[in-house]
Amino acid sequence: MPGKQLAMVIDSSRCIDCKACMAACITANAVPAGYNRNWVKDAEPDLAKGAFRGHFQPGGCMHCDNPTCVAACPTGATFKSRDDGSVVIDRGLCIGCGNCIPACPYGARFRNPALRKADKCDYCAARRAQGLSPACVDTCPTKARVFGDLSDPDSEAARLLAENKGRLVRLVASGTDTKPNMYYLGATEPRNWPVEPAPPTAMAAMTGLVDPLVKAAVALSGLGVLAMFGRQLFTKPHPPHDGHDHTPDAQASPGKQAGSGGAERPDNRF
Amino acid sequence: MSPLAEVKTTRRGLFKAAAMAAAGAAGSGLLGGLAPARADAKGLAAIPFESKFSVCDMCFNRCGMIARVQDGVVVKLDPNPKFTKSRGMLCARGNAGVAQVYDPDRLRHPLLRDGARGEGKWKRISWDEALDIAAEKMRQVREKYTPSGQLFTAGADMQSEFVSRFAEVFGSFNITSHESLCLLSLNRAFLDTFGEAPYADVINSKYIVMAGANRFEALVTPDSIDLMDAMQRGCKLVVLDPRHTKTAALASEWHAIRPGTDLAFMLAVAHVIIAEKLYDPKFITEKTFGFDELAAHVASYPPAFAEAQCGIPAADVARIARELAAAAPASMVYPGRRSSDYVNSSQIRRGYAIVNALLGNWDKPGGLLAARQVGLSPVPADPPWYDDNQEDRLDAEMSPMLFEHDGSFVHTRDAVLAGEPYPVKGWFIFKTNPMQTAPNRKKTIRMMEAMDFVTVVDITMSDTAWYADLVLPAPSALERTDPCAGLQGSSACACVVKRDPVIEAMYESRPLFEIVKGLAARLDLAEHFAFTIPEYRAKQLAKLNGAEAVLDRDGVYYNPGQVYGVYEGRIFKTKSHKIELYNQRYAELGIDPLPVYTPPSTVAEDSFRLVIGRNALVTQTSTQNNALLGRFVPDNDLWIHPDPAQRLGIRDGERVVVESKIGKGELAARVTRKIRPDTVYMLSGFGTLSGGLSRIKGKGASIAEIIEDAADALCGNAAMHETLVTVKRKVA
Repeated sequence: MPGKQLAMVIDSSRCIDCKACMAACITANAVPAGYNRNWVKDAEPDLAKGAFRGHFQPGGCMHCDNPTCVAACPTGATFKSRDDGSVVIDRGLCIGCGNCIPACPYGARFRNPALRKADKCDYCAARRAQGLSPACVDTCPTKARVFGDLSDPDSEAARLLAENKGRLVRLVASGTDTKPNMYYLGATEPRNWPVEPAPPTAMAAMTGLVDPLVKAAVALSGLGVLAMFGRQLFTKPHPPHDGHDHTPDAQASPGKQAGSGGAERPDNRF
Repeated sequence: MSPLAEVKTTRRGLFKAAAMAAAGAAGSGLLGGLAPARADAKGLAAIPFESKFSVCDMCFNRCGMIARVQDGVVVKLDPNPKFTKSRGMLCARGNAGVAQVYDPDRLRHPLLRDGARGEGKWKRISWDEALDIAAEKMRQVREKYTPSGQLFTAGADMQSEFVSRFAEVFGSFNITSHESLCLLSLNRAFLDTFGEAPYADVINSKYIVMAGANRFEALVTPDSIDLMDAMQRGCKLVVLDPRHTKTAALASEWHAIRPGTDLAFMLAVAHVIIAEKLYDPKFITEKTFGFDELAAHVASYPPAFAEAQCGIPAADVARIARELAAAAPASMVYPGRRSSDYVNSSQIRRGYAIVNALLGNWDKPGGLLAARQVGLSPVPADPPWYDDNQEDRLDAEMSPMLFEHDGSFVHTRDAVLAGEPYPVKGWFIFKTNPMQTAPNRKKTIRMMEAMDFVTVVDITMSDTAWYADLVLPAPSALERTDPCAGLQGSSACACVVKRDPVIEAMYESRPLFEIVKGLAARLDLAEHFAFTIPEYRAKQLAKLNGAEAVLDRDGVYYNPGQVYGVYEGRIFKTKSHKIELYNQRYAELGIDPLPVYTPPSTVAEDSFRLVIGRNALVTQTSTQNNALLGRFVPDNDLWIHPDPAQRLGIRDGERVVVESKIGKGELAARVTRKIRPDTVYMLSGFGTLSGGLSRIKGKGASIAEIIEDAADALCGNAAMHETLVTVKRKVA
């Protein structure tokens, strides 16, 4: 039996930037203060040039088919589900190294400070298990977010995709197509914000966070030594999140770490 | 192969190895604390939700929702898909209802003031003691100053009708609501034109002019959602707003109108529609009164007049008038909601009403709809007669067109301070916060000080509670049994909702109903509250067969009925029995029977008009301390245009002092082109005084501290956009 292919189809032209999806997500998933699993981006018009039409763009983990976060995970905790195509974090296997965070072009991941584990959207797995739709989709006032199984042609998501063939947009970094499963209908803005997935900087985080015994175990293995060497080549300090908008800066240069995307535009407040 | 791909390949090998090492470590039990967390997807799913219907209480909209409960704890609030008024949605504030229930700052037990007023010293007392004291103080006020010496103020709540009932049986004429700080000017204008306050059929409209409203941020159900649906189907939205709101950002057109000039725009639109005969003559003849007078009146308000006043090009004004008329009757000037703006706001909104009348959109799809029958039966009280009482409300003579049941907070406060026409010395307040929502906070503090005894019932220590004598803890909406409420929303619904407890009442909180019942018992008024809420609901539902069962099944009961054409063969509830373009009653009272344009006060070069507003994450002050909403809106800031900011040496994010004639506030500047250079904007809900709201103590500035107290000349609604302010960089 072929597996499901869960996806989100978003008509961002319907979004009014009310943040209900973000509030619903925080509550449904106990997202700690300072972090978000989803977002609404604001394509600010240049009022100085007489433009006034804005555009709001809801987003979240795009559950990519070519997930760079999965490639960056040293333990296999992050993987692509064979059952439904979503990108899953097995918290039992996650060591909280943080490699996956800059490996995501969308800034969709963070390290949950309470659990010390990677965290991100799981399409509200717990809710789905009880027959409910993801909280952001359920609550959205204008139904800008539609969720469903693309392998089921009768699902609203599949129907929307079929109806809008030719005007589907997938947001990807300029150099890496992660093949996201988040489809935008028509002219969505902003578009140029996904950043190049950054190679992991795992060990800096590991040495600081993980049980010293693990550190010892890793250090004892030849591979661990090699990894430390690799780290020397690629590492960058990994600053904590700014606590507000966990999406990378739209103007970020390629390769900039997503997790450091604290440079909010001045108007990106409420 | 790109360098990045090469790195990936190389490193993937490393990860696999590291994964194996980690897995091995886990298997040997070395990881200890890193064992699989219980709160993974499967773990949570194992605890099934209990799902219970409720009604949101985070603003006035009362959206139907479903509470998800686990182990007696509300873990999530979801929209009730069967609740069409909200189109099956729940906004951010609705979602934040969970944070309100479990707010650690909630009041837990009755508190009696034990220091100077506002000093924040309290003594914990028992409920019996609290009710004894409150009742005794009310008795003393009644004996000394007559029953009308006691003022009652209630916010929007499904139990507020029990405050009215209690005031009535207590014998006081004096009850005020939040409405006189909000929407009364709008209601006045439409009542005095159409004989009732209509609902806008936004979803079926083809062309909407929205002025003095921000529907994509200040959410009104179903209008906010319907506006998006209508626009997706091609409805044109023209926004007039001095501020680039999210509504403006999504509009078809945005005009940064000079604040306070909307009436000039409306009169010019009427001018064009009449001069170019763009109206339906049959509708005008059959349904309206005073067309010729209106035609003569608006002759002197051509589009060029609007251009000079509003700053909107005359050609645009004329074009918008033509486009409105071309789309009629499925077009409208959106009536709005909060209209507590100017001293002539009733007349400004009369301009809106008159344009709608000319569009002939009354009672038609895409136009303005009449209220429908929800079918709830009233449960009237039978109040005792008090020989020794006043003749009327305290503020009765202060506005020619006062709403009897709402009064005017601004005028009532002046009357209390003057002690004229009679003294009012007791105040009972339920779940509203005039200290933060009424203009001129210093005056509200003086009003508090003028009182012998103030009792406040609320769920947290609002600024109003902070200045009270007695503070009584109420349960949140999710902990209560509430009466039925009838709700309407254009073509979406005429429906009934009710509330039953989703969880048990927390702490020592007691619902308002139990409090007034306890007071009534102590004041020999027990017979007027000799019922339970389920009994009361049964009386409300007497004429709606089977409604209770439907409410239990669906969380909402609809009373289907005619939506359009309900006025066919019916008269309008006005003096002429027609739509009064020319208001005859106004003429008799010496009020302009047709709205005469009065320009707003001049804003000098070194000052600004202060405008206020809401967004989708704030309901005035009732959401200010909410942990979830605070993540999005931790404080307020002052929107100021880059040109004056540069002149004043103010950079984005710097602290500034905003000062009016009556007060000042300090907050961060947000330098943005989203506001006109002659206007500054602040969000309501910050700059609190209360020591009981830990999360927002010291955050932002209070609109109430800065806004001067002016009132609508007709109905006494507060006029909150009349204040001019200076802005200075804060000197460290």
